Amino acid sequence: MRGFVFWGIPLRKRVEIGLLYSREGNYARISEACRLGALSAIEAINTTPDSGSELIAIERDPRGNIDLYQPLCTEILRETSARHVVGCVTSWSRKEVIPALEKAGGTLWYACPYEGFEASDSVVYTHACPNQHLLPLLQWAFPRYGRRGYLTGSNYIWGWEMNRVARDQIAAANGAVLGERYLPIGDVDVSRIIDEIRATRPDFILNSLIGPSSYRFLQAYAELGREDAHFTAATCPVLSCNLTECELGELGAAAEGLISVGPYFNDAQAQLPGAGPGFGSSLEAAAYSAVFMLAGLLAQPDTREAASLGELLAGSGAARSGIDPETHHVALPVLIAQVEGGRFRVRESWHKVAADPYLSHSDRIPAARRPRLSVVR
Amino acid sequence: MTRRVHIPNLGGAQAAILHRPHVTVVALTRQLAAIGLEVTQHWPDLGSSALAADFVFFDADLGHDEQFPWKPGAAPMPMIALIGSEAPGRIEWALNHGADAQLLKPVGDSGVYSALLIAQQSFEARREQAAKIAGLRARLADRQTVVRAVVLLAARGRSEADAYDHLRQLAMTRRETIEQAAHRVVAQFSQDGGRNDRSEHS
Repeated sequence: MRGFVFWGIPLRKRVEIGLLYSREGNYARISEACRLGALSAIEAINTTPDSGSELIAIERDPRGNIDLYQPLCTEILRETSARHVVGCVTSWSRKEVIPALEKAGGTLWYACPYEGFEASDSVVYTHACPNQHLLPLLQWAFPRYGRRGYLTGSNYIWGWEMNRVARDQIAAANGAVLGERYLPIGDVDVSRIIDEIRATRPDFILNSLIGPSSYRFLQAYAELGREDAHFTAATCPVLSCNLTECELGELGAAAEGLISVGPYFNDAQAQLPGAGPGFGSSLEAAAYSAVFMLAGLLAQPDTREAASLGELLAGSGAARSGIDPETHHVALPVLIAQVEGGRFRVRESWHKVAADPYLSHSDRIPAARRPRLSVVR
Repeated sequence: MTRRVHIPNLGGAQAAILHRPHVTVVALTRQLAAIGLEVTQHWPDLGSSALAADFVFFDADLGHDEQFPWKPGAAPMPMIALIGSEAPGRIEWALNHGADAQLLKPVGDSGVYSALLIAQQSFEARREQAAKIAGLRARLADRQTVVRAVVLLAARGRSEADAYDHLRQLAMTRRETIEQAAHRVVAQFSQDGGRNDRSEHS
């Protein structure tokens, strides 16, 4: 009887939505955090009587295999009524599914930080892009630690683009890039990176490695810090734009002093659209926020369950949802936090920063605030 | 040879689209706005207001020469052809208009950003080359003047090689080209008839 009027009370629309998260593989911890956020949002919406729709999760698991994303996304769009898929962790997988989405008129809700320079009509980006992570992080770090950086990353688009933007920022600040080194995803041979860092003695390291490569690197760097005190958080911190609470367990003591940036840390008051406090990480919060915004759009009166993103955003709900109809990105809090005693402590924050995926609006870079005490060199 | 391409900040840049009202224009406008450009649409003519645009996207399918306020190939900004039919005649016409990059119709949400960057790079490379060629042409045209200046200087008892060295010194001192120095020497001689031997030192 669902979907019909029963004794004059409109019953809720049942809406299927896809979930496309890998439950194993190199970035399983990140995937699990996003999946948890999406599922808890679905549960919250389904247990709220006046939420307007009941969401049914249709799950597919690409198991960390890049070649399974596109077929599984197509399967969701073809075999079920789902038009919206919450999923993908790597930019590589996101770019893989976009053609499938375009073909079927589907939408991906993407809840991870990414490298920007994209504004697909078929994607909503609910986590941060570079003007909401890398740019404020570097502007904050330069006056505190210096402008001589060492750049490292996993050998795919996230690492390449993050380091390209960082190179430009460092050059514009008259700094220097002392080295730049990539590892294939999953590779844990970090000795060359450590050797180069030891030899060049930078002021900071920008780490865009992911998964096991990143864990191994951070452990090796902590060991280096025990050999030579320069390589510790006070004089040469490791900065990253994708480290969240969900990976701290893997790192143990090696996480101490790491600096990260994101729209949410569980120490903070900041909130993403529709998401309150109490999440394990920004990934969980951004996936929760994605589902919440989607449900809000679907609950608009006269909305078809199969409505495309364009149709949903054309209504009055777009402005209320917090999604920029021009870029499909979201204005987010920007927080810079450092691991201290096993938890992230927020060091700097901006309440709400509009996304600028193509870095074409200089007014959307949060204004740098000078440190209270400058480092004596 | 690799070169580091400067990635321009496109925020606030003006894009003019010369295309009849069409879903292609809608998709292109959305993507350009997402990148941060300001967009105007024009049809059937580009009009002189488009001279202020930083980029022009033009329809290669229904386009013709009279739509533009400049001669074919003389656009003062990067041009991007919107190609639907890949008929050779139409591609030839688009190339004659100096298409620096192209987008295939239907325009989706990919390809626009790379078309902007590629068009900008090839337009700048083309403009630099044109300026260089114009400079070289001008210098070639001045060969006769250089010969005359050397002859005039050599007429005062210098060897031809010394006269040429002297001319080069004059150019270096004033940070000008040999051709410019030669022009001054020739002008000086025609003014005073070459009577004052030291005139070119003044």
